[in-house]
Amino acid sequence: MEGGILQNVILLVDSYKNSHHRQYPTGTSYIYSYFESRGGKFPYTVFFGLQYILKRWLQGPVVTKEMIQEAKELHAQHFGRNDVFNEEGWNYIVERHGGKLPLKVCAVPEGTIVPTKNVLFTVVNTDPMVPWLTSFFETLLVQVWYPMTVATNSRIQKQILHHYLSKTNDDLDPLPRSLHDYGYRGVSSVESAAIGGAAHLVNFEGTDTLAALVFLRKYYHCNMAGYSIPASEHSTVTIWGRDRETDAHRNMLEAFPDGIIASVSDSYNIWDTCEKIWGEELRELVLKRGKNGGAVYIRPDSGDPPTVVVKCLNILGDAYGTTVNSKGYKMLPPYLRVVQGDGISYKTIGKILENMKTNGWSAANVGFGSGGSLLQKVNRDTQKCAYKCSHAIIDGKGVDVYKQPITDPGKDSKKGRLALHLINGTYTTVQQEGNDPKLDMLVPVFKDGELLKDYTLQEIRERAKLCSSDINVMQFLKEDSANQDE
Amino acid sequence: MDSHPIDNLILLGDCYKSSHYKAYPPGTTNLYAYFESRGGKFPYTVFFGLQYILKKWLCGPVLTKAMVEEAKEVINEVFNRDDVFNEEGWNHILEHHGGRLPLRIKAVPEGTVLPTKNVLFTVESTDPAVPWVTNFFETVLVQAWYPMTVATNSHIYKQIIQHYSNLTSDDHDMVEWMMLDAGYRGASSVETAAIGGAAHLINFKSSDTMAGNPLLRKYYHLKGVAGFSTPSSDHSTVTAWGRDNETNAHRHMSDSYDNGVVACVCDSYDVFKCLEETWCGELKESVLERGRRGGRVYLRPDSGDPKEIVLKSLEILGKGYGTEVNSKGYKTLPTFVRIFQADRITHNTLWEVLENIKTHGWSSGNVFFGAGAALLQQVNRDTQKCAYKVSSAEVNGKCVEVYKQPITDTGKTSKKGRLTLQHDNGNITTIQSGQGDPSKDLLVTVFENGVLLKDYTFQEVQDRASLSPSHFNIEEYLHNGDME
Repeated sequence: MEGGILQNVILLVDSYKNSHHRQYPTGTSYIYSYFESRGGKFPYTVFFGLQYILKRWLQGPVVTKEMIQEAKELHAQHFGRNDVFNEEGWNYIVERHGGKLPLKVCAVPEGTIVPTKNVLFTVVNTDPMVPWLTSFFETLLVQVWYPMTVATNSRIQKQILHHYLSKTNDDLDPLPRSLHDYGYRGVSSVESAAIGGAAHLVNFEGTDTLAALVFLRKYYHCNMAGYSIPASEHSTVTIWGRDRETDAHRNMLEAFPDGIIASVSDSYNIWDTCEKIWGEELRELVLKRGKNGGAVYIRPDSGDPPTVVVKCLNILGDAYGTTVNSKGYKMLPPYLRVVQGDGISYKTIGKILENMKTNGWSAANVGFGSGGSLLQKVNRDTQKCAYKCSHAIIDGKGVDVYKQPITDPGKDSKKGRLALHLINGTYTTVQQEGNDPKLDMLVPVFKDGELLKDYTLQEIRERAKLCSSDINVMQFLKEDSANQDE
Repeated sequence: MDSHPIDNLILLGDCYKSSHYKAYPPGTTNLYAYFESRGGKFPYTVFFGLQYILKKWLCGPVLTKAMVEEAKEVINEVFNRDDVFNEEGWNHILEHHGGRLPLRIKAVPEGTVLPTKNVLFTVESTDPAVPWVTNFFETVLVQAWYPMTVATNSHIYKQIIQHYSNLTSDDHDMVEWMMLDAGYRGASSVETAAIGGAAHLINFKSSDTMAGNPLLRKYYHLKGVAGFSTPSSDHSTVTAWGRDNETNAHRHMSDSYDNGVVACVCDSYDVFKCLEETWCGELKESVLERGRRGGRVYLRPDSGDPKEIVLKSLEILGKGYGTEVNSKGYKTLPTFVRIFQADRITHNTLWEVLENIKTHGWSSGNVFFGAGAALLQQVNRDTQKCAYKVSSAEVNGKCVEVYKQPITDTGKTSKKGRLTLQHDNGNITTIQSGQGDPSKDLLVTVFENGVLLKDYTFQEVQDRASLSPSHFNIEEYLHNGDME
């Protein structure tokens, strides 16, 4: 086990950025850039993950002479020419700043829910000799699109679950563990698993992505951010052989006689397994477990989710009986639940819950799990995340900088040095000039190699919790579905 | 400077896997699992990336006492119970194997191009006391889906460009330069960018994702670099000059790198005006001069519908610089000026752009491409339906076939028994149930009991991947394929 692949901060960047130091106008002393979500699937974003990037890559003395030498050699080969790599600029940073980066980053506090098309963080160089540095770290800083987008996608699902639990359950107690992260294997790398898994835990507490727990300990001061339960998988069931599936599930119940366990039940025939195995052959063991305060979560894992879930509930309801809660919806006994971990996304979770409701079942009967859809099926365009230069100082004069391509007005960028205001519950992005700096929600988080803010997961969760001013998520789903049909 | 967030082997598995050693039948002494693509978007896969996973996480004495202690504390807290963590099992690996993993992994050689629904690698426990190890590492081994899927995704881009190059261009040497990886910022992490960036370099030589090179140097014996780039502008370097000064922005860029190749982004305000007035007007002389010195300028639109934008841009440049007709009857711009389209290029839009310019008489050699998220991030484990399943086990001395066959989804049926990968009448096929001929098995033992037995070089990977997949017709794929 060794460190990361990249041990050189100069390589954390799109190659072409090495050529930019010679392209800005002569006399440029400051380049000021900002980051936003230009719109996208969801109308707001949960800001999260910048602190990891700052702590892991940019904090402290991060540039050394050895790195400069290594980067110089690599880039000479990479460009096939020696006049691109900015050896002088990097040497200056080592000699003048001891290898610390003369940058200032101001950001909205992590966990804040901000409507799209608002500035989320700004970056400016603090030493006029190295204006190119602002844009140099665009590549790395833009990767915050990922934890931000995962956290947002996860929170939208939390809103949906909240909606159905409010309507069909006595209380909201099941909410924090109602969507479990199964995405460790389906994500593109262990590092991404850690980041994405952590982003989900801003909203929920259930995870199998262990990497996320370690990540949150290391970068966000949380000792244990999530929980899991013993659970079977297909290999542990099918190894017993088709004729001994009952023994497989019995073994699971006996190996972990207390507490909650889950057992995947679709290896061969989910209906028979629910009816005959769980409903009859293992009924005694399940009842015994229930008397001890434990529970069994039965997991289908294939087929059309809305149909499969309701059919399983019906079979189990017939076998174990149901009660009706204060909202008039059926509940399985407290020791029995269904967990649906296949095919879950923000689009499908609502459909499943709606089908359950239509069939008289409380949302509290089912827990959900999501893998690829939670951690991998998102990209920078999901929330159209972009980092653009908006202001520069050239020959001592401040100029607003922007792009405005006629070929795509969606790509217009903001101008000037920006602030984020929150007035009467509404966020707006304004120019700093002419506005009271005290109203600016953006907070300096990094300056000249020093981390200025150190957020804990606890405060982030507090900021990100659901609240009455949230968008109407059912309305959002309706419009989203209509857009897809166009 | 950098230590990976995860530095404990035991924390590489999904939480629930810590509970599985108790879930197998008593008397289980061996577990044998395999990994395949069960189908998906592409009818074949380019196998790549397992060696990185083995070297980074699993080779050598990877388990330490400190890890066992830390993991015990973490797992007990995650489950809020202390009867899940398999302290005995992990200690056994420490004491009997010096912290090396008692596993045997066989895999198809990296770079191999083969049809889907074939076994790609198998994993088997070698110590009867700890058979659960096979499936414990499913999580991290399954992450091979990513480099494999990006390598295949990238390979298909190459098939498309090669197809149009064959039809409309005289210059086939350029194909491997014609798709740039611009995905660094759009990847979900630096590690992902490195893995995906490396996978793309199997097929192409153009890349701005610098991270791919250190990965290949460290894990695949690459000497030097495998990807190359050119001095290029971005919107910040152009727009910093101000709207009225755009020509000066391009002139300054051009003068700063007055030899060789440069790329200039042209759509900050009005891409067509920029091409007509700046590049075919005020800066025409400097472009011609660069050309005389053997250099080239790539002009980059970056917004709008790629199909229309590329064609219109070619027409403007054709008027400005003139064209020649090549041996295949298609128009080419002079060699020192090209279009570079790196916005919204998926397989589908690439096809649309190339087909459209062909229809209008332009050679594909006039346009170079780039892709970011479409290359490195818009893929997932379901793209190639990658899965890892136990197919055979030994329980109480008996060898048993293990498989799932859910009535609710026949696509999820898994293979049975011990598997071999063999040639059969010119096709590659997987033989199940131990019926194959081990002497003909294309799977090679790459890892055994902590030792890496095969150490592929990047050169070998590239050589294998340069072969075209048999029975694959790019036109058919494009017309019938499941396009996004």
